[in-house]
Amino acid sequence: MESSPLPHLQNESNGNHHHVSKKSKPSLISESDLRLEFSHHDPSIARINNGSFGSCPASVSAAQRHWQLQYLRQPDYFYFNLLQPAILRSRTLIKDLVNADHVDEISLVDNATTAAAIVLQQTAWAFTEGRFKRGDAVVMLHYAYGAVKKSIHAYVCRAGGQVIEVPLPFPVNSNEEIVDEFRRALMRGKANGSRVRLAVIDHITSMPSVVIPVKELVKICREEGVDQVFVDAAHAIGCTDVDMKEIGADFYTSNLHKWFFCPPSVAFLYSRKTLETSAELHHPVVSHEYGNGLAIESGWIGTRDYSAQLVVPDAIEFTNRFEGGIEGIKKRNHGGVVEMGKMLASAWGTNLGTPPKMCASLIMVGLPVSLGISSDSDALKLRTHLREKFGVEVPIYYRQPKDEEVDPITGYARISYQVYNTINDYYKLRDAINQLVSDGFTCALLSK
Amino acid sequence: MDSDHRENGDSTHNHVSKKPKLSAFISEEEIRREFSHHQHGIARINNGSFGSCPTSIIAAQKEWQLRFLQQPDDFYFNHLRKGLLESRTVVKELINADYVDEVSLIDNATTAAAIVLQQIGRAFAQGKFQKGDAVVMLHCAFQSVKKSIQAYVTQSGGSVIEVQLTFPLNSKEEIVSEFRKGLEKGKSNGRHVRLAIIDHITSMPCVVVPVAELVKICRQEGVDQVFVDAAHAIGSVPVDVKEIGADFYVSNLHKWFFCPPSVAFLYCRNSPLSSEVHHPVVSHEYGNGLAIESSWIGTRDYSSQLVIPSVLEFVNRFEDGIEGIMTRNHDNVVQMGEMLAESWGTNLGAPPDMCASMIMVGLPSRLCITSEKDTERLRSYLRVHHGIEVPLHYQAPTDVECAPRDKDGLITGYARISHQVYNSFDDYFKFRDAINQLVEQRRTCKMLFTE
Repeated sequence: MESSPLPHLQNESNGNHHHVSKKSKPSLISESDLRLEFSHHDPSIARINNGSFGSCPASVSAAQRHWQLQYLRQPDYFYFNLLQPAILRSRTLIKDLVNADHVDEISLVDNATTAAAIVLQQTAWAFTEGRFKRGDAVVMLHYAYGAVKKSIHAYVCRAGGQVIEVPLPFPVNSNEEIVDEFRRALMRGKANGSRVRLAVIDHITSMPSVVIPVKELVKICREEGVDQVFVDAAHAIGCTDVDMKEIGADFYTSNLHKWFFCPPSVAFLYSRKTLETSAELHHPVVSHEYGNGLAIESGWIGTRDYSAQLVVPDAIEFTNRFEGGIEGIKKRNHGGVVEMGKMLASAWGTNLGTPPKMCASLIMVGLPVSLGISSDSDALKLRTHLREKFGVEVPIYYRQPKDEEVDPITGYARISYQVYNTINDYYKLRDAINQLVSDGFTCALLSK
Repeated sequence: MDSDHRENGDSTHNHVSKKPKLSAFISEEEIRREFSHHQHGIARINNGSFGSCPTSIIAAQKEWQLRFLQQPDDFYFNHLRKGLLESRTVVKELINADYVDEVSLIDNATTAAAIVLQQIGRAFAQGKFQKGDAVVMLHCAFQSVKKSIQAYVTQSGGSVIEVQLTFPLNSKEEIVSEFRKGLEKGKSNGRHVRLAIIDHITSMPCVVVPVAELVKICRQEGVDQVFVDAAHAIGSVPVDVKEIGADFYVSNLHKWFFCPPSVAFLYCRNSPLSSEVHHPVVSHEYGNGLAIESSWIGTRDYSSQLVIPSVLEFVNRFEDGIEGIMTRNHDNVVQMGEMLAESWGTNLGAPPDMCASMIMVGLPSRLCITSEKDTERLRSYLRVHHGIEVPLHYQAPTDVECAPRDKDGLITGYARISHQVYNSFDDYFKFRDAINQLVEQRRTCKMLFTE
């Protein structure tokens, strides 16, 4: 039986860094306080898309405004005395959160998109300077995020590298399916004497959303002589377990504004220090601190609003108002989204896109075939229709059917579950889809 | 009468002529309220470094931020792009650009430098430029731009030529002749000058550079591309990109154009090479032109880019809008600069016609400024003990014979004072008195306590 009403972190490296543990015991957040924290959310919308843009509670926004005001009232003083210590504080807390060895390994950047540019720029230099040969490969998942794919093409192909995509099955039933495809792709990359210089692996893919067995894939990369591994974990922090030493990648990025209650926008980029060397990463926006290490470079990239990076302590404090802290939130989000996913699949007579163990706080739920989702464009139109006519915000994924499939499910809703959601959000979606089905609606009916 | 004006609690009036009550223009009181969030008791004479933002714009920004937080998907799909296009259109009109797709919104001039220089770096890497081909810049170019050149040009095999500017300056011709010399050097040994980076208003020391003339010379001398780093220009001097004629022109809107941190525009003249210019953070819009690429570089807060139309409304509450603000800022900073130079027995670093809303004022030689460390010490001292925020510059004398002097010795330090609509003459009197006090007490920089 739980002996203490105190929320406590299960992060082993917590130690006593956490300033929260020094305060007097806070009580758990009440339902009404929780509602207040998210009262700025549009009340007419069933908000089941926490994955795209995240969410930020009012108390963290207030903390952010405080920093913004400090800057505006005396920016020189802020710059010379306040900014860097506050950034260091955020970085140190993140280092503990993710079990990194050294705070030097943690840089704060805008988002995973920026982190990708940083890592890929380094790869591109290696090609340009001849350290990598033309034709050496970068391996990525077919379901890699669109922006990251473009970044890989922009930086790698432009510099002479080749790109290999790992096709992944969807729906997917087990980690083995992913592992097999990944091994095959590595083989392709190593064909004809080429080397695989970089593997870009999602921790949780975006569309369709699947939790990837990254630890296992990183191990395979090491076995197969892949130079560097970059884990794009945009969704991971606050969503699934994030342990740098466990996962063992060279680079790892995650957005704190998605599932960790920070305002837009802040992400961390972890870059492993090895005995031999730290990879020479640079922020592409070069400023005074160029050459002082990525973490320091990122701490000043010209005049801008750094306040989102400064409220990490406040976001952590927020999570500690919940039972079990962020661990408790993750568990309940997972339990909630699986339960809702099953409820919807049952109500619609469809299926889930992955087994529950391959999802975190997002899950793919098959949409009724009669909706006739036959393209990406249909998926987007249906999404817009749900927003405008039913007040439901949920991203829709179009899955191209294989030739031999009979009556395939071609559309999936990616539902999310975060602390502000209630069961009514999912009933609203359930009923909207059921109504569309009973109205004989198909996507073909939606005009441009 | 106690002439000590150091307690800045009660404001005294700006000595700008007062408007009759029937005027629809913003009143003194309203201006004070718009900047009431500025720390009281601080003589804020450093608008150049970080700029300033009125409360009504902060409020407008909060509205945009709230809209995102309320329903971010709707914001992204239905409001963001429209808002950005509106902002870009306002800027296009302001700077006399031909096409709105020549105008991109980015964080700051530092980002613009990375964009332009990455493009140069790629051209070296791809063999389009010969190793050793040159990039020409001013010696006093902003430190971050210099590092960017190191990262993208030197790393890729380009050579860098620095044009020395004398300071103090007496005329534009001094700049022009040094610049010509720099170009000659760049072209020596059969090299090409691939890029010239020219400040419109240099940072430290601060002077207005005759950019249109220098761009013309660049064209005459066969320089491939010209990038004008005009971080300070918009809201400070008139900006007409067609007149100036550069290939790239960047200015920060958060310095002198009342935008919140941070937003800058990067003007890229339409050319066959436009498709080679990219935002370094690659996202969905890659390949659709810099302006569109810049409008989405991943999830972040774009609100500072969205308030530009509101800022236009703000400046139009002043007599003659931004033109009027620029003129009055210039007149006031010159007047205050001359007042300080006279009180201290020193000089101005450049003639008034080479200044905009900032001016360099010589500091008394008795302060014994012999290094940058000394100016840093003095700056901190002024902030901590007198509530004065003003950046200071150390200028080593090059030619002792002709170097500027006051009655006690060589002038080696300069204050860069600024004037913006929220300043009052008291700010400068405070500064005047603090320096005079130090001189009277025979205290030099090295003797100052900064805690």
